[in-house]
Amino acid sequence: VTGVRDALATRRIAVCVGPGGVGKTTVTAALGLARALEGARVLVCTIDPARRLANALGLQALGNVESRVPDHKFAEAGLRPKGALFAMMLDVKRTWDDLVTRHAPDPARRERILKNRLYQQMSSALAGSQEYMAMEKLYELATDRDYDVIVLDTPPTAHALDFLEAPDRILDFLGNETARALLAPAVGAGKLGLRLAQLGGGYIAKTLARFTGQEVLADLGDFLQGFQGMYDGFKERAAEVHALFSRPEVGFVLVTSATPVAIDETLAFHERLHAESMPVAALVANRVTPDLWPAAAPLPGEAELAAALAAEIPGPDGGLAARLARTLAEHQTLAASDRQALDRLFAALDAPRAVIPRLESDVHDLAGLARLGERL
Amino acid sequence: LSSLVPPATLLDRRLLIVTGKGGVGKSTVSAALALLAARAGKRVLVCEVNAQERVAPLLGAPPAGARQREALPGLFTVNVTPHEAMREYGLMVLKFRTIYEAVFENRLVRYFLRVIPSLAELVMLGKVLHEVRAEERGRPRWDLVVLDAPATGHAVQLLRVPSALVDTVPGGPLRHDAEWMQALLVDPERTALVTVTLPEEMPVNEAIELDAQVRSVLGIARGGLFVNAMPEARFDAAEAARLAALSDAPPPLGPAARAAHLQAIRAQHAARYLARARAALDVPTTVIPLLPAATWGLDAIEAVARVVASGPVPEAP
Repeated sequence: VTGVRDALATRRIAVCVGPGGVGKTTVTAALGLARALEGARVLVCTIDPARRLANALGLQALGNVESRVPDHKFAEAGLRPKGALFAMMLDVKRTWDDLVTRHAPDPARRERILKNRLYQQMSSALAGSQEYMAMEKLYELATDRDYDVIVLDTPPTAHALDFLEAPDRILDFLGNETARALLAPAVGAGKLGLRLAQLGGGYIAKTLARFTGQEVLADLGDFLQGFQGMYDGFKERAAEVHALFSRPEVGFVLVTSATPVAIDETLAFHERLHAESMPVAALVANRVTPDLWPAAAPLPGEAELAAALAAEIPGPDGGLAARLARTLAEHQTLAASDRQALDRLFAALDAPRAVIPRLESDVHDLAGLARLGERL
Repeated sequence: LSSLVPPATLLDRRLLIVTGKGGVGKSTVSAALALLAARAGKRVLVCEVNAQERVAPLLGAPPAGARQREALPGLFTVNVTPHEAMREYGLMVLKFRTIYEAVFENRLVRYFLRVIPSLAELVMLGKVLHEVRAEERGRPRWDLVVLDAPATGHAVQLLRVPSALVDTVPGGPLRHDAEWMQALLVDPERTALVTVTLPEEMPVNEAIELDAQVRSVLGIARGGLFVNAMPEARFDAAEAARLAALSDAPPPLGPAARAAHLQAIRAQHAARYLARARAALDVPTTVIPLLPAATWGLDAIEAVARVVASGPVPEAP
């Protein structure tokens, strides 16, 4: 069964999502490489906290800027790309800083935000921040650069769900009028401690300060104050970013393995994408145990295999027939359970798909990625 | 920064943090460590952090949710959620339920708590570490707390929160809590972190990166490496070569040879990645064999626990 690449042929942006530990990063890289070999100018972008893609692409380190996979890497792998392959790893802090720089009305305001202690932490620690910045970066790459194709890797499912919610959550944070009103005048006067006690919500503010410490609230107030006037720009931008994901040029690729846990998570994610009107363009079932034995025939026992072996290799087999029988039986048990799991998935999710056998997908160099790409 | 924990004393820590790449079997190892400790007569709590609960089901028990639940005698599990942890933390800081409710029912306050960076992580980690410190009737509530941590990058984010707050928050209850939490995390007498990996390329890379961060950033004592699902070296090199040549033979030999060939390749790759992980981490290493597909749930945990009980194995010469 093939068709993943066909399904993506008309899409400029492919977003690979799925549970952890299924080889999502590898599939992302293989999809990107396949398009580059065909002649496209391709960017592969990962936002995974662990820097795995660099390894898969034979690059030592990836940064927030795109770097081109060098020609000699292709030559070593016996590949002659008609296009070009670029790779990058999202730097969350840098992307935030770029965004602030773009929207700040003047250098003083920019510095005030960039120097704010809470901002410095927030860019790496606020839930959804990484996902939001991934979308922001993707948007920037999609609109400002001349790539024919962009393939985006995402963090494992738990966070991939955050991926879609992140902008709303962050915007709620940046644009909360009441919060700003509560803190802004005090910050403006430079006397937060005093003001907190005087505010209409003084009791609540005091209790809150007891909870977090007053300095944290002061930082937050300063930050929100700094952001005043920039919020609309951010909001507009986030709306554009969100709209990007509903465009026909974008396709989501669900990547899964055949383990029951991975299948459950994949189905949950599919439902979620569907609800957001972001349909799945293709499905990749990775690391699947291939079925090696003809249907319906009973598995061979030790004696049968010993006889067949004796015809090929004369002499005592050193227990080889017994080990063969056991190995085949174990293999087929796994194959059967994988097939059962995939049947459940395919019944619920009708999309162009590829089933990639185990081992063939356990690749970590360009040549292996190219072979994997051919199967997609 | 970090020191090595002797393998024999791993279960004598008060807190074991289990992490590794997604899908490598962190929950399996957590459950097995907890089972061993409980069998040794310890009172054990396994904490998952805002996760799809895996540990209790692996032990054949229903998911615990946010309230601790005894899965097996002496072995409790809990899924620490931000909401519940925040509530408990709030009650601790504010002392009175009525004040908590008055303040925290306020939408604006919920906003502050949600947006103050890392507060959710802080209270979840705080809840776990609080359980480590908690005493009942003059003795620790738990002999051992096992933290089944999130996958690599997110685990580092979670475990870094206390030191990040110590660095950035000048004072107040947040800072005070961050300080004692950090002290507990980096105390090699009480706390150790174990890394779980599969003998495969990407999980091993991630384990090596994680280990570097544990040493350079987190400073938590390293308690060991667990290599999960290690295929057995079932065919020697000569047999493997012969079987590869027979892969296209008609049934029954061809398919059997092909299955054996695939098994041999996997075992060979796995041995290489195991050696690589060992060399890079240089900590006591426990190798858990790949279990037959039919082994599931508590049977699987029992099997893993038996391997863990026999201790780390030295590298073959």
